[in-house]
Amino acid sequence: MDPSLRLVPSGPSKVASIQDTANSFGLHDTLTYGPRSLAAEVKKSSSVKDRLENWEATQDNLKLNLQRNAYGLHAPVRMLMERQIVGHNPHMPAFRTSNIHLDILMGRDETLECADFMMPASELSQPLDIHAEMERKLRM
Amino acid sequence: MQTVDMQRLKAGEVNLGTSIMAVQFTDGVVIGADSRTTTGSYIANRVTDKLTHVHDRIYCCRSGSAADTQAVADIVHYQLQMITQQSGTPSVATAANIFQKLCYENKDQLSAGIIVAGWDKETGPSVYNIPLGGGLFRQPWAIGGSGSTYVYGYCDATYKDGWGRDETVEFVKNTLSLAMSRDGSSGGVIRMCVITEEGVQRLFVPGNELPKFWEGEEVLQGKPVKREVPVAPMEIEI
Repeated sequence: MDPSLRLVPSGPSKVASIQDTANSFGLHDTLTYGPRSLAAEVKKSSSVKDRLENWEATQDNLKLNLQRNAYGLHAPVRMLMERQIVGHNPHMPAFRTSNIHLDILMGRDETLECADFMMPASELSQPLDIHAEMERKLRM
Repeated sequence: MQTVDMQRLKAGEVNLGTSIMAVQFTDGVVIGADSRTTTGSYIANRVTDKLTHVHDRIYCCRSGSAADTQAVADIVHYQLQMITQQSGTPSVATAANIFQKLCYENKDQLSAGIIVAGWDKETGPSVYNIPLGGGLFRQPWAIGGSGSTYVYGYCDATYKDGWGRDETVEFVKNTLSLAMSRDGSSGGVIRMCVITEEGVQRLFVPGNELPKFWEGEEVLQGKPVKREVPVAPMEIEI
């Protein structure tokens, strides 16, 4: 939880990084993503895209901070604890898990988004994904 | 260094180019505002209510970007309701500090000039001015908005300490009238609220009953202009 009363997402940060394509050594993963390219590394993000992507998280963070100011640190800490408990998924990489409990806690149990009804039933899953998922899980 | 351009509104924004003021008197505060909201030179709303309720005895006057001030006022209203549940009626200082926190932390993206005024049990009446940038200033009287620049002289010359309710209402009415007559972004009607321990009373002065000052009759080739008898502001139900 970011302790700031930010009303809307702030502008995009101008940064070049290889976080997206890094392997476990922290270097660019050539075998998976091909040779390094500066164009891919420089994060030229659209301000509208950033604003929309970060909107829900910013509003949620604002509400948590208002709760902190009104009731004390315990209030947002409990909310975040509940979300963490409920969001814990002990199953091995499962695709399209639906977490109703988490949806209820986040207040989106009665809303529909495009992803909810536009996702095709048959999904293409790359075998490499499962390995990366497992790695990430075990390193938890 | 990235400078923050706070002078201009962001592209396409609706402007609360405005005259707002709040004055403290013995038993309470009188707040007032004009009623014009502009988008460029088009008057988007000529009967705007810029006096926003954030708590039972705490109101705020909004100037600057309409969207920004509405967003901030909504959040403060929400927060004050939470605080009331937890620790009882908040003071005007508490409300003003919440406004100030929000305005300061978001200063790079907001253009909002807010005046918070109200009555509370501990300090009685108080007026807090929060100009662009997010500073907090407690003052006995405060004016804000684009129209305020034209009436600083009138206010400095006229304001006296120890006034009662009626003199303060007269002061607010005259000041806003002068500001509205000189500022293109201010106009319409005058809306006022008198906030005391007993309650909040809304007052309304329609455009044709605004106090008139020098209108240049002598320039109109000797045509005498009939001076209207001053009328008391209309009391209205909320």
